[in-house]
Amino acid sequence: MILEAHGLGWSVRGKPIVTGVDLVVNEGETLGLVGPNGSGKSTMMKLLAGIRQPTSGDVRVKGEALRAMPRRAVAQLIAFLEQQAETTEAITVKDAVDLGRTPWLTPLQPWSPKDDLIVAQALADTDMEGFERRSWATLSGGERQRVHLARALAQQPQILLLDEPTNHLDVQHQLSILDLVAKLPVTSVVALHDLNQAVSCDRVGVLSGGRLVALGPPHEVLTVERIGAVFGVRASILTDPADGTHMFRFHPAS
Amino acid sequence: MSLTASQEIYVSRLGRGTLGFAALVVAVLAGICIGETPIPVSIVLQTLANRIFGSAYVLDPIDMGVIWNYRLPRAIIAACCGSGLAISGMVLQSLLRNALADPYLLGISAGASTGAVAVTVAGMGAGAISMSLGAFVGAVVAFALVAIMARAAGGGVTLHGTGQIVLAGIAGSQLFNALTSFIITKSANAEQARGIMFWLLGNLSGARWPDVWLAVPIALVGLAACIWYARALDAFAFGAESASSLGIPVRRVQVVLIGFTALVTAVMVSIVGSIGFVGLVIPHAARFLVGVRHGRLGPATALIGAVFLITADVLSRTIIPGQVLPIGVITALVGAPAFAVILIRGRRAP
Ligand SMILES: Nc1ncnc2c1ncn2[C@@H]1O[C@H](COP(=O)(O)OP(=O)(O)OP(=O)(O)O)[C@@H](O)[C@H]1O
Ligand SMILES: [Mg+2]
Repeated sequence: MILEAHGLGWSVRGKPIVTGVDLVVNEGETLGLVGPNGSGKSTMMKLLAGIRQPTSGDVRVKGEALRAMPRRAVAQLIAFLEQQAETTEAITVKDAVDLGRTPWLTPLQPWSPKDDLIVAQALADTDMEGFERRSWATLSGGERQRVHLARALAQQPQILLLDEPTNHLDVQHQLSILDLVAKLPVTSVVALHDLNQAVSCDRVGVLSGGRLVALGPPHEVLTVERIGAVFGVRASILTDPADGTHMFRFHPAS
Repeated sequence: MSLTASQEIYVSRLGRGTLGFAALVVAVLAGICIGETPIPVSIVLQTLANRIFGSAYVLDPIDMGVIWNYRLPRAIIAACCGSGLAISGMVLQSLLRNALADPYLLGISAGASTGAVAVTVAGMGAGAISMSLGAFVGAVVAFALVAIMARAAGGGVTLHGTGQIVLAGIAGSQLFNALTSFIITKSANAEQARGIMFWLLGNLSGARWPDVWLAVPIALVGLAACIWYARALDAFAFGAESASSLGIPVRRVQVVLIGFTALVTAVMVSIVGSIGFVGLVIPHAARFLVGVRHGRLGPATALIGAVFLITADVLSRTIIPGQVLPIGVITALVGAPAFAVILIRGRRAP
């Protein structure tokens, strides 16, 4: 019960975007969030990260109400990887990852060699060693995403909120990043589009029209019927002859 | 004896600091020596020694008067205004994530002028403090108006890359400049009006010691605030939401820093009138030299701003013999082309 939401809702100009979400994330698990475009995944993530204030319900971290906590204390617990975060500043990869240490530093507790070690480790974990001096503008989309992830890791959070962490990555890095997240001793909530990736999460939540319509182990939640109802596609299940695992193939509905 | 890595960083920082301070001292000395009647450095140094350390060099009292009562306070005020306006521009650019933000373009200077003029004309005492107070109120009202306008237009102070805030700023500037003209025309007598118009264009010739005692602390407070908030400003690199997820109390930082910006701008405007382009151009020059980290960028911006405005003041006094140009003319002559370069480069950026 490290992270929980009760009756969570967010609406903008009277239009509900997320409605009545009840969710309990267990310590150490990886929870996948899936849903069509505009179903409210990113909004949910921002509410859980506390950077948007819910219009109804509340979010609790370790039993404490998120909105009552100082931002710094939240950032020491929760790191959030945004779906899109760009800059026109001429910053380097090292600058960007260093930002992850922000919640741990004050003017009176400045940067120390320990912070350098943490940043180096984050760069190593995301396979971005050797890029330290590269400027942000010269990076490819996938490299930017890995730098953002390195920044989130440098924050040394107990909870990682990742909004589509793999959407720009090549196959190898998709696998290695998801594997890394699964192995880290942290609790993570990951918004994903690839249902075959969602299958490897501990639990999966399905968002549709701003509501959490299903939550549970992947094989219970991601059924052919539900995929048809939520995503409007016909799914068929294939078995990999190599190891007998199941995977989805999708076809147009009609 | 060898130094550890962190000691080396410390030493090189100390070295850069010393170098910067030396550059500032040289600029101030140059600002005192150069003028309609050039004064040799030796006489300047002897005067300063007499006044500060109580030594007893025998000097022409006229030279001493010019140096101590006019040129030194003028150079110090120029340094304070240059660094204060440059720091304000840097803070606005970082917080609003807009390369074109600056107290002049966002209407803060115009609002400050209106406030200062209103106080002067209404005769609420023309002292430096009351004028500064009026200017501060004007600056805050102007920025609030500009921010509301930008937000209504879909921009807002938290969004990045939008032109709305600059457009709103231009509209705000026009509005407050018109208000200033209105107040002058309606209420000021001819003599007051002439004095105010001269001051509005940016003029350092009225700089005296009482102004110094106001400008120096305010400039230092502005610099201290931006050093204290250096990491918070860094964290805005990827936008306000990202800063928030890094533990920055975004709203509070915005209010505090924009408040400081308005205060610094207001005080500088009430002393020297509104000077454009310093806040816009100097931070970009500093970024080019020392990079984007605010721990270094802040002091560098302050230093370059100070040296730049002292230089601009010297030029304004000497470029046409026997005549003083408004300092805003010099800063605009440098600033306008630099502005164009920023616009063009910004368009090419991905
Ligand atoms: N500030 C806002 N104002 C108006 N509408 C908004 C705002 N923020 C989000 N929305 C709307 O809320 C809905 C959910 O948005 P959200 O970004 O959470 O979707 P998502 O599930 O992350 O989609 P995607 O898969 O495309 O990333 C969308 O229809 C979006 O247009
Ligand atoms: Mg999204």
